[in-house]
Amino acid sequence: MAEKKTKKETAPKKKEATKATAKAAPAAQKAPAKEQKKARVGVFICHCGTNIAGSVDIEDVQEYSKSLPDVAFADNYQYMCSTPGQKKIADAIKEHNLTGIVVAACSPRLHEPTFRTATKEGGLNPFRFEMANIREQGSWVHMHDREGATDKAKDAIRIAVAKASMLEDLFPKTVPVEKAAMVVGAGVAGMQAALDLANAGIKTYLIEKNPTIGGRMSQLDKTFPTLDCSQCILTPKMVDVGRAENIELMTCAEVEDVEGYIGNFDVTIRRKARGVLTPDEAEAKGIVGGGCNGCGDCEGVCPVIKPNPFEMGMKPRKAIYIYHPQVVPLIYTIDWDSCIKCGLCVDICGDKKAIDLEMQDELVKVKVGTAILATGYDMFPIEKKDEWGYKKYENVVNSLEFERLICASGPTGGHLVRPSDGETPKKVAFLLCAGSRDNTGVGKPYCSRFCCMYSLKHAHQIIEKIPGCQPYLFYMDIRSFGKMYEEFYYRIQDEGAKFMRGRVANVLEDPVTKNLIINAEDTLLNRPINLEVDMVVLAAAVQPAEETERTRKLFGVSRSMDGWLLEAHPKLNPCGTTTAGVFLAGVCQGPKDIPDTVASAEGAASAASIPIHRGEVELEPYFAQCIEEKCAGCGMCVNLCPYQALALVEKDGRKVMEVTEAKCKGCGTCGGFCPGGAIWMQHFATPQIIAQIDAFLVGGAK
Amino acid sequence: MARTKGYPEALDKKLADTRLYEDERHPDFTKTVEKVSMTIPHMCFQCGTCTASCPSAPRSSYRIRKFVRRALLGLEDEALTDPDLWLCTTCYSCTDRCPRDIAPTDVIMAMRNLAFKRDIVPVNFLKTVQAIYTTGHGVPNNDVNRAARQKLGLNAEPPTTHGFPQYVKGIQYILDYYELKKNADRIVKEREG
Repeated sequence: MAEKKTKKETAPKKKEATKATAKAAPAAQKAPAKEQKKARVGVFICHCGTNIAGSVDIEDVQEYSKSLPDVAFADNYQYMCSTPGQKKIADAIKEHNLTGIVVAACSPRLHEPTFRTATKEGGLNPFRFEMANIREQGSWVHMHDREGATDKAKDAIRIAVAKASMLEDLFPKTVPVEKAAMVVGAGVAGMQAALDLANAGIKTYLIEKNPTIGGRMSQLDKTFPTLDCSQCILTPKMVDVGRAENIELMTCAEVEDVEGYIGNFDVTIRRKARGVLTPDEAEAKGIVGGGCNGCGDCEGVCPVIKPNPFEMGMKPRKAIYIYHPQVVPLIYTIDWDSCIKCGLCVDICGDKKAIDLEMQDELVKVKVGTAILATGYDMFPIEKKDEWGYKKYENVVNSLEFERLICASGPTGGHLVRPSDGETPKKVAFLLCAGSRDNTGVGKPYCSRFCCMYSLKHAHQIIEKIPGCQPYLFYMDIRSFGKMYEEFYYRIQDEGAKFMRGRVANVLEDPVTKNLIINAEDTLLNRPINLEVDMVVLAAAVQPAEETERTRKLFGVSRSMDGWLLEAHPKLNPCGTTTAGVFLAGVCQGPKDIPDTVASAEGAASAASIPIHRGEVELEPYFAQCIEEKCAGCGMCVNLCPYQALALVEKDGRKVMEVTEAKCKGCGTCGGFCPGGAIWMQHFATPQIIAQIDAFLVGGAK
Repeated sequence: MARTKGYPEALDKKLADTRLYEDERHPDFTKTVEKVSMTIPHMCFQCGTCTASCPSAPRSSYRIRKFVRRALLGLEDEALTDPDLWLCTTCYSCTDRCPRDIAPTDVIMAMRNLAFKRDIVPVNFLKTVQAIYTTGHGVPNNDVNRAARQKLGLNAEPPTTHGFPQYVKGIQYILDYYELKKNADRIVKEREG
């Protein structure tokens, strides 16, 4: 309730004020700041416990701050971000009639919003606050140099005071939020996120590059630790996604272009030519009762045979195909790279007229308020670690191939066989951390997080399906950290799996029997092992899906050093990104098992629905302003703007530049370029920055 | 007594206190090994890839993983006095495969250098030093080799210090400069009289 009230109160003011600033800005440019109200800056120095106080002399810095020009008040406190700390700011503003606030503490990323709120509570415009970072860029990096850290803190405060004395009132702009969302990737994460958004009443576009939704989870046989059939628990969700009224599902589709900002993303989607019409598409073309009904007659007559990527290439498919019987949507797809356009499928399809061999890609534009990336993972190409012989020895497979080989709907109907001779293996070795936890630069330095658990599950499956078959798990550590995971480990050991604590050095093949010889060390016995097995399964590392890089660039999302997409905060904002309105779900942010993936998807959906339900978002008022009397109307800035935020308009009989504030991101490209100095960058205005530089180079205490 | 020969001693050994005590650890040893070897044994997570790659391990009690562990913990005496230290063939298979990008071979080489400073070195290694000093070769040419070379149409002596004995002097200069020959002679004499 309280929130609503303040909104109502501030709403009318806002409009007036925005107009006022637009005019006030050029005025400030013309007249020096001193002729305005005399600046009175308050400086607050945070100890941050001992984080700052441990290597910065707080008293000394405070005395120094008091001596700076325009400083009317200086104080320090143990934790400025605490409630009493914030109250100090609010009280001092009233008591000392302050016009600007400097808090010397941590990074603006961490606490700028906190102190802006405190400044506002003291009755000052929140944008009259400036932060001096004396922790991350001060005490922490100069931990063992008290004198140097103290001097640097003084410099940082002097610079911040110079800016704070020239800050102006600014007012954030609110923009409406489109009541629609987009989810990129329709694996279990994308599906869950889309279902949550749809159930919350939000129109959701679900974009999937493959012909079917389901993602990696639909390739798995069983799920740990409950041993549910993966397809059985996933298919209902797939069907729900297909049926949900609020979900507009686009398969065989990719994001082509993204424009705009939170609340108003204009996304162009490339709907790749599928070659087959859905019943709806057929109806739109006037074909009554036509379109693909998934009968499969076309597949029967198609003469081209190719490996099915869904089965990791271990099962054939035709040039017109579906991945597996449970696909959603149940619409056939043509693989243009292998189709010979013989037309047999068109003939047999007959009156349904579902097949169009001349279909072209289509570009579709949609407008959404927020977007969730759920682009998932690929297997690391484990043949790069050539000591394990993947792609060199027939009976060495990766874990996803094993999933298909043990899956009842897989190429062998669930009968595990050796690829070399079709025999049932009696001894199977599982190599964990294959390519994970590898600092050589070939593999991945991170833990792929779910390999331990699925390898335990694989061991269980072969014990269950093949009587007398012995699984060996070569491991470094078993990381069974989830709910009921350690109990699952206990169970599998009890069932007879042998755990060998040692990483496998190399795998050799007996050229006659195609058996594999494993060299490892039993590090617990301190003895080298030489073990002959029938089959080797590599629990290969995972890496971001191939298209992740392109997609993240379109949405302006960063990635971390290991290639996974970068969250806004690893602990406190794992679903958000540094781009407002774009969120992350599932493995694209880092390896996750299914429970964690679903949880992260629900988190992302919740976060993505907040701006949509609020209906409007506040944009930071860092936009450029045109000082019209200085603008020559040359228009050079218009082309420079990366966000298409500028335009030339006719005013009083001449051309001047105009800024669309909602589009402007305050990057400063135009302001830095303008030859006439006619562009005023709010909050980063030229006089403010010059004052900072002056303070650094020639300023100081008298 | 003869019937129990060796038993009481063996039992004593089994009953000895084998716990790891803090005063056995010398953090400086870790640092010295890292400096000499220019690699990072403190990053070892004991996966055993090195031992499993080792051609010596299946034929001996040599466990390179144990030496890297000793380097990590700073167990100087245990590392340098273990005769296994000299069983590495320096094939570098472990270095090729170590997932932590450590060069275990170089750790061994560093420890051998440090052991040599304490006169801990097997006599056969010192005899190799003496052979290099006199001939320029650790394994000098012999009649079998000479015959084989001639059969293949090569000169009996290879184009090394065997073919150009005048250059042995240069090798001797290097060995003298580091007092390697002097120390080798001294230790061999002490051991063999």
